[in-house]
Amino acid sequence: MINSSILLSITTFAYLLCTILYMAGVIFRYRPLLMGGTLVGVVTFLVQTAGILLRWIESYDLGYGHAPLSNLYESLVFAAWSIMLIYLVFEFRTRQRTLGVFPALFAFLAMAYASFSTGIDSRIQPLLPALKSNWLIAHVITCFLGYAAFAISFGISILYLLKRNHPGNPSSSGVLGFLPSSKQLDGFNYQMILFGFLWLSVGIITGSVWANSAWGTYWSWDPKETWSLITWLVYAALLHARSIQGWRGNRVAWLSVAGFACVLFTYFGVNFLLSGLHSYATR
Amino acid sequence: MDRHPIERLENMQKNRGLPGSLYDALASLKLTLFLFFALAGASLVGTLLPQGLAPEELKARYSPSIASWVDTLGLSDLYRAHWFQALLVLLCVNLIACTVQRLPKTLKILKQREDTFDSHKLLKFNLNHSFTAQLDRDDARPRISNVINKEFAPLQWVDHPNAFCAVSEKGRWSRLMVYGVHLSVLMILVGALIGSLYGFKGFMTIPEGTSSNEVTLFSDDRMAILPFDIRCDKFDVTFYDTGAPREFRSDLVIVDQGQEVLKSSIRVNDPLTYRGITFYQSSYGSMLREAEVEFKDRESGKVHTLVLPFRQTRDIPDSRDTVQITQFSRNFHQFGPALGIVVFREDHSPAGSMILADKPEFHGNKVMNYQVKVLGIKQVPYTGLQVKQDPGVWVVYLGFTLMILAVGVTFYASHRKIWVCAEEQRAGGVSSRIVLAGRTNKNTSTFEEDFNRLCERLENELTIHTARGRPDDQ
Repeated sequence: MINSSILLSITTFAYLLCTILYMAGVIFRYRPLLMGGTLVGVVTFLVQTAGILLRWIESYDLGYGHAPLSNLYESLVFAAWSIMLIYLVFEFRTRQRTLGVFPALFAFLAMAYASFSTGIDSRIQPLLPALKSNWLIAHVITCFLGYAAFAISFGISILYLLKRNHPGNPSSSGVLGFLPSSKQLDGFNYQMILFGFLWLSVGIITGSVWANSAWGTYWSWDPKETWSLITWLVYAALLHARSIQGWRGNRVAWLSVAGFACVLFTYFGVNFLLSGLHSYATR
Repeated sequence: MDRHPIERLENMQKNRGLPGSLYDALASLKLTLFLFFALAGASLVGTLLPQGLAPEELKARYSPSIASWVDTLGLSDLYRAHWFQALLVLLCVNLIACTVQRLPKTLKILKQREDTFDSHKLLKFNLNHSFTAQLDRDDARPRISNVINKEFAPLQWVDHPNAFCAVSEKGRWSRLMVYGVHLSVLMILVGALIGSLYGFKGFMTIPEGTSSNEVTLFSDDRMAILPFDIRCDKFDVTFYDTGAPREFRSDLVIVDQGQEVLKSSIRVNDPLTYRGITFYQSSYGSMLREAEVEFKDRESGKVHTLVLPFRQTRDIPDSRDTVQITQFSRNFHQFGPALGIVVFREDHSPAGSMILADKPEFHGNKVMNYQVKVLGIKQVPYTGLQVKQDPGVWVVYLGFTLMILAVGVTFYASHRKIWVCAEEQRAGGVSSRIVLAGRTNKNTSTFEEDFNRLCERLENELTIHTARGRPDDQ
């Protein structure tokens, strides 16, 4: 009998396979392996989509009936899904297969953490009264599209920094020579950050409007809110810094790394280290 | 990517005197970056230090010297501290100054007619393409026009003494979007200011079956009196079979000047608004409604049993004393429920004591000359409502909408421009040299692809027509 947990378990291992294929493709500079990575990525993405939809249906069978976006387990699964969605669209648009290692790795890590951590309950739970709102879907989807774009941008930034600061002439040979030029990487990075910034903005705004309709205040300096604002400010600084001469390349890549650190803290750190309105996201 | 003239202008301003330099500093991107990092850093500190501590808690948590620093810098109420709000004001000043400085220049560039250019200039662009067509200039012109009009955007011809030169551009207005984003940030901050000046936020607890018009404000511990009453007919919690709460619901009635004007059930995520004031389901609990209490006069031995509603005075028969329950504790010092009972007697100061309900033999269960025994306690559920009036919220929402639109358009649109020049290879010859150049302010790689495709299409078009045109020439 096929159920959502079997599909999502398959997804976890398939993303590992996808990561290995992309990584091997870059290391051995062998394009068919990259093709394999894309193929496994697309198929796994479809399996995962089916898994998420099935979980949604199963929640109705249990009598709870809510979108699978309500706790840490479901959000991690959705994070993996968003990362792969954005990456695959990006790969299709730019025809660059060599950047798949990090997105696939992040998708695998998110799935593995969701599945194997003993602290995370993967059962379908009923929805708390505070989460019973259509804003839940809008808020979670937009936030995770932003987070996912920033995760991909982080991967691109790491590759950029490796390539730019690698001694010798990386453009001619070696693993790094197989990657797009550093100018191209910088361009991709910028596009990805702008995309992430758009969705993070929408995510913060939907959260704010939701908070106003549920609690009567659109901004209460709750730690999660504040950290999402910090993330927003770092990326806003990055976008402005790009228009000042001399802030291209390395500095922008480092800012993107710092921005992603803020994303991770907003997502995990706030839940485990600080207390606040988003405490339902820890279980 | 080529730099936009506005950014170059910024470096050209020098020797402007103190007011000028100050204005430049206030409008500068460096200040913007400083403010972003300062706000981010301050917000970070605010999430690490506990906020909203009372002075006693502050003293208990920190050593005296650190506590005085935390107090001076307002670190335990950081987001309302003057220096934090000054940063926000400075951000607004920066936004306005930057707009005042740059918007006229952007508008000028948007209105500007194209200067004359020639093929040499076009060949200096990062993105250019040139080829030779076996057509004379006049034949090439409509075909170039056709292709670019169809594939890109309408072509506008530019005066040139001995060549056909034209430009075509798309998304010129997208350069204005950044001002839209800036305006949206201003609107959100202004909306928040309006809310804090002309609105209020507070809390009210209404026991089931009673009504109230008193709101305890969050900002200070004052009360606000609503111009109408709100009654809670019923409060209800339902649970899932797992034991987790499913729904909190209060059935409320608005009573305005003695009239029941509105009946509504509110839930979390489903508030009620009346005359601009919104009520949100925020908490619940139970409180004392009334207690049955026995008073035994230890001098006369008389026993009276009274039903005392919470916080209402009752007479003790056969005496001039009155009595009131002023406090209720669910678990008083681990001794179980207790009532705070106060006896008032003329010419005496009131005397009171906490009476333990579950321990009737406790020696302290007495007030004045009465031995007091609690016979029964009736509790009533109450609903906790958050109450808010915020006239600025629509300005904030308008800012939100504008921000989404402007950031969205900034992502999807870019200002792309194509220059084309057709000149005769030799005077009176039938071949002409076509030069194209392109520039965008964003999405370089996509534009490069589009540009190359356009060049290819144009080159095809001109060579096919040339091949077809040849027999006629002979």
